[in-house]
Amino acid sequence: MEESGSDPLPVVKPFFSRAGGKIFIIWLVMTIIGVLIGAYAPHHLLPTLLSTEGTKVWETIVLFTILAAPVAAFVYAVGLYSLLGWRARGFGNSDEPPPDGPSLRGDAPMTAVWLGVSAVLVIVLLVWGLGEYNAAQTSHPDTLQVDVTGQQWLWTFSYPGAGNVETRSLVLPINRPVQFNVTSEDVTHGFWPAALGVQVDANPNVVTVIGSTPDKLGTFTVRCSQLCGLYHSFMYASGAVVTPQKFAAWLQTQGVPAPQAAQAADVKASTS
Amino acid sequence: MTTTDAPPMLLEDTPLGKGAGGLYRRQNALTGLVGGVFLGFIGWVVSHRLLQGSNWGSDMVVTVTMVGWVLGFNIGMGTFNAPIRWMLGHDQSYEDELYAAGVTQGKSRYWKFCTDHKVVGTQYLILVMVLFGVGGTLAMMMRTQLITPHSSFLSANSYNAIVSIHGMVMIIATIIMVTGPFTNFIMPIMIGAKDMAFPRLNAMSFWVVVSAVPPLLATFFLGGVDAGWTTYAPLSVQAPAAMDAFSMTMIVFVISVTISGINTIVTILTMRAKGMTLGRMPIFTWASMVGAALSVYAMPALLITFTAMITDRVTGTSFFVAAQGGTGWLWENAFWIFGHPEVYIILIPPVGAMLEVASTFARKPLFGYKVTIAAFTAVAGLSVMVWAHHMFTTGWAPDLAGPFMVTTELISIPTGIIFLCIIGTIWRGSIWTRLPMFFVYLFLWDFIIGGVTGIYLSDVPADNFFHGDMFVTAHFHYTLLGGAMIAAVAGLCYWFPKISGKMLNERIGKTAFWIIAIAIQITYFGQFWEGFQGMPRRVAFYDPIFLHANQMTTVGAYFLMLGFLVLLYCLIDGWRHGKPAPANPWHAKSLEWKVPTPVPLVNFLVDPVVTTDPYGYGEPEPDNLSTDFPDPDRELVPTLSSDRPVTGGEVL
Repeated sequence: MEESGSDPLPVVKPFFSRAGGKIFIIWLVMTIIGVLIGAYAPHHLLPTLLSTEGTKVWETIVLFTILAAPVAAFVYAVGLYSLLGWRARGFGNSDEPPPDGPSLRGDAPMTAVWLGVSAVLVIVLLVWGLGEYNAAQTSHPDTLQVDVTGQQWLWTFSYPGAGNVETRSLVLPINRPVQFNVTSEDVTHGFWPAALGVQVDANPNVVTVIGSTPDKLGTFTVRCSQLCGLYHSFMYASGAVVTPQKFAAWLQTQGVPAPQAAQAADVKASTS
Repeated sequence: MTTTDAPPMLLEDTPLGKGAGGLYRRQNALTGLVGGVFLGFIGWVVSHRLLQGSNWGSDMVVTVTMVGWVLGFNIGMGTFNAPIRWMLGHDQSYEDELYAAGVTQGKSRYWKFCTDHKVVGTQYLILVMVLFGVGGTLAMMMRTQLITPHSSFLSANSYNAIVSIHGMVMIIATIIMVTGPFTNFIMPIMIGAKDMAFPRLNAMSFWVVVSAVPPLLATFFLGGVDAGWTTYAPLSVQAPAAMDAFSMTMIVFVISVTISGINTIVTILTMRAKGMTLGRMPIFTWASMVGAALSVYAMPALLITFTAMITDRVTGTSFFVAAQGGTGWLWENAFWIFGHPEVYIILIPPVGAMLEVASTFARKPLFGYKVTIAAFTAVAGLSVMVWAHHMFTTGWAPDLAGPFMVTTELISIPTGIIFLCIIGTIWRGSIWTRLPMFFVYLFLWDFIIGGVTGIYLSDVPADNFFHGDMFVTAHFHYTLLGGAMIAAVAGLCYWFPKISGKMLNERIGKTAFWIIAIAIQITYFGQFWEGFQGMPRRVAFYDPIFLHANQMTTVGAYFLMLGFLVLLYCLIDGWRHGKPAPANPWHAKSLEWKVPTPVPLVNFLVDPVVTTDPYGYGEPEPDNLSTDFPDPDRELVPTLSSDRPVTGGEVL
């Protein structure tokens, strides 16, 4: 790297000087670190995701982090190198400025490349995002309907397929699409079973809909994601993804007659 | 402004007649306070008498009291003196104008309705610091509450009230943190103007926003706003009387920001010096104008929503009451039609300030000046079309989720151009590592993280996980604190010598920098961790599974407060004991560095004629001004402005 130093009118050098090689190395190292973080960190940070939608959230985070890593790494690499290679040494506390740098007022090819790369990245993000979003909109014939009602400060779940039995906890059979029909009795709440990777607000006088397909057994917590007053912090319900047999058994403990419970729980079993 | 016809001497020394200023002589912040309390009290008594026993009583009483306070305070300050005299048929005399501009009043003019843009800028700077102090203290209380899962430090109600007011105080402070101090103090000098286009509106915008602060803090004594800073209806329609005071604050704040925005646009479009073409304006001026244009667009939406909120609460309309045909979605839409442009109203001016810093301390011209202006404009244009990305999970208009995802992600293209501009500017520069430049690097680091996490949230399926949880909180703190506020601090350290006339002690400043830089990462990585784990926002008590992430955040937050306190000490120490600053300590080229420090009342003793843009580092022209412009560090030579020889430069 040459100091533009004592020359009062430095000649503008080609855009990529030898600094380019060092910046490339810093960029490569940072990109690899970023990609590794993107590939491994979300898995450890996220709660155990129990649905196909949850898996897609995880995939999206991994993909976006990996795509963002080279871009962020480039900015960081130039920033870091500017401090290592281009810093005017000895001027940190000086009242006199260092000699001027080169008069580089713009670079059309670089700007075009930058625009092109960011446009391509945005298109990739959009194709991915819109594709996943549309996939989430398709409906399935044997969907389990669950009515969800929020009120200050608790959740009520009701299963229309099982005689509208009302419960305080959300139990779902595995591998069967479920549709939540969400509403509120008072203010706006946010129905958020985080482990299912979906959420939708509960609004008074309106039914909002969100779907999910649980694909792993486990327990989770339904929280409220919209500030809803004094005890917003305590507005949660427990949830579980269970086998169809256990789901039928659980419906019976909630007061559903055995044949009806088996029928409500076994739709999936008969189709698969 | 009458001062453009100044007599050939320093206006500060003009002897004024005994009657100059008229009513202004008797008015200051104290009479404003007395007037506000008096009219507020009258309003309280009258409305209390009339409305006793009615359904809407307490809400109406609070609203009328607050209207009384705001009007009384501004009457007492003198905000309405000139318009009223004008309506009565006799305008302000020249001496009155000079008095209102603060001539011969020394430091007391900072407590008065003063039309000098430099006084208004300094007043804004102090107000912003006070607001950051209040908002920061509230943040520390929240973090202290969250250090254990079920702390008894705050009650659930106080916690909700603090969450809301922390949010709104910080939003108000960040909206005015650059447009208040720097757009008022620096921008007119940058373009070669002698004041803002409307000096009285300028002073009004400051004292009006001051009058909005007591109602905001009064909410704590009126039951507390328990609906968050977004005050989603219908929860906010049911909130205690504090919500009326909160709505009044917002309405008054909107008035202040809108008139200040109009003032900025008119000043930039009409008050530029000879030769200061639009293509030669410093980038900060462009950023101020784009931000101001955006605020003139967005702020009225907030005015309408909060007016409707007051009528819902006070007179029984039902815009937002579902049981009577209204809908909370109306509130959410109207709020975010303001709310998303608002983040760019906050962001664009500080980024412009930071680009000035980057160019000066890299000793290089700004990279891609015109592309950057295009990027600012594109960000502003797109930002009015993205509001519903705050509503992906509300269930409103699911078919629009795709289009809003598209517009939101498109914003990352012009935002990327701004990054290109910064790294292009430091590329092969000769980096002068003085204090302001440190914050430019911190901005780069933080804003990339804020931007990348924003892309996760713009993706509907991912937002279905993250919406309403601490990940969002961490994301916008990275952009607004780590990005916008740090860029504003870069601007503050850069312009501090011009504003205060003193140099900062950079050893203290750099200590503050390192504490702040590291504490931001600890605090908000802690919040990202909470967010990944699925902790909702705005909860006073939480599941113990989130304990470690919260402890990390709280420790980081304490260090962040410490860092900002050290920075505050650095500023106060600089202001009181700093070395006197030369007129151009950074050897920068824009016009604000060509005028003496302290800046004389009319800024320019000789009208400048501009021949190039202010970024000619490493270029043959020694300067961007015609050669007869006086050296600002020499003794001031009073000159008739009409004596100015016109040399060089293009006429607009």
